[in-house]
Amino acid sequence: MAIATQGTASNYLQRAPSPSGLAEVLDVILDKGLVIDAYVRVSVIGIEVLTIDARIVIASVDTYLRFAEAVNRLDLNQTETAGIDELRNGGSSAKQKSEGVLEGAKEKIPGLGSSDKERSR
Amino acid sequence: MAASMTSTGVYVYGVVRADELPAVSAEGVAGATVELLERDGLAAIVSRLPGEFRVKRRDLQRHLHVLEEAFAETTVVPCAFGTVLVSEADVEEALLSGRRDPLQAALARLDGMVQLNVKAVYDENELLRRLISGNPEVAKLREESGKLGDAGYYQRVRLGELVAGLVEESRRQDADAILAAVSGTVEDVALDDPGEYDALKGSFLVDRKRVDRFDSKLEELAAKLQPVARLEVIGPLPPTAFAASATAT
Repeated sequence: MAIATQGTASNYLQRAPSPSGLAEVLDVILDKGLVIDAYVRVSVIGIEVLTIDARIVIASVDTYLRFAEAVNRLDLNQTETAGIDELRNGGSSAKQKSEGVLEGAKEKIPGLGSSDKERSR
Repeated sequence: MAASMTSTGVYVYGVVRADELPAVSAEGVAGATVELLERDGLAAIVSRLPGEFRVKRRDLQRHLHVLEEAFAETTVVPCAFGTVLVSEADVEEALLSGRRDPLQAALARLDGMVQLNVKAVYDENELLRRLISGNPEVAKLREESGKLGDAGYYQRVRLGELVAGLVEESRRQDADAILAAVSGTVEDVALDDPGEYDALKGSFLVDRKRVDRFDSKLEELAAKLQPVARLEVIGPLPPTAFAASATAT
């Protein structure tokens, strides 16, 4: 199948047959799929916390300041070469940032008494 | 019934038609063996949970691998990660018998379908360059906040707010363009909240026979969106984002 082929000549369309990183796996299986009524379900503590932490989006003055910094950093007349270098750096730091957040979510799980299960019937 | 600290549970990965999936060899959540429980023409893919169970990062992968193995063989209605029922009897009665009709309907709807997860990721600098060039208010605020330095806090907040609004506007336009481009090749769409620099993030339900067409539409689109955004597509995946309708009774 064409979708399963990795990469293209342009690199503007990246293909992967299966999720690789934690963020991608979360996108596929968290909060997705058949949900069974609470009255027959056992709640496993730890999963909910993982969900919440992984999904938090902070929209605040901090975000605005980040935009302002990014815009002020940007030299509109910069040469193409400089631009590409900056893009590469920008791209990798953004990735590290999101992975950092997800790692944080993961770290919280072992601390929980997640063997507690409730049956709410 | 009172909450129990010691009872084990039955972890459920998904539901298939009975006899369509002989076995699953992938390791289950908590390292358990994956089994099939059959009732009324349906089979639940399950494993036992140990009493002292803690969710680990590896369990996310295990859940997905079990679903992927089942999906490679036949049509599967995936369960959400962390679906645990009290007993095997509950799986057979409450799930397989109790939801037989909606599950059969979901299986029929998902027959021959794959899920493709698509993300359109902005290049921060390219996007900002596009948004601010020729915008006089942005230019003015940049100049002011540059001159004022640390004292220009208010100007910086205002500038950032303005740019955030422009990013939002851009996201709406690009997301609409993506959805319009693939609309003829998809059965269903489930959108997620996009990240700060994503134009769009979502899952598309696509007929296996149309995957190549869907892919070439994305290829065309990627050429148009570059260099401001690039597209990432993952799949074919089990249709995790399109199973929820099976809960309707």
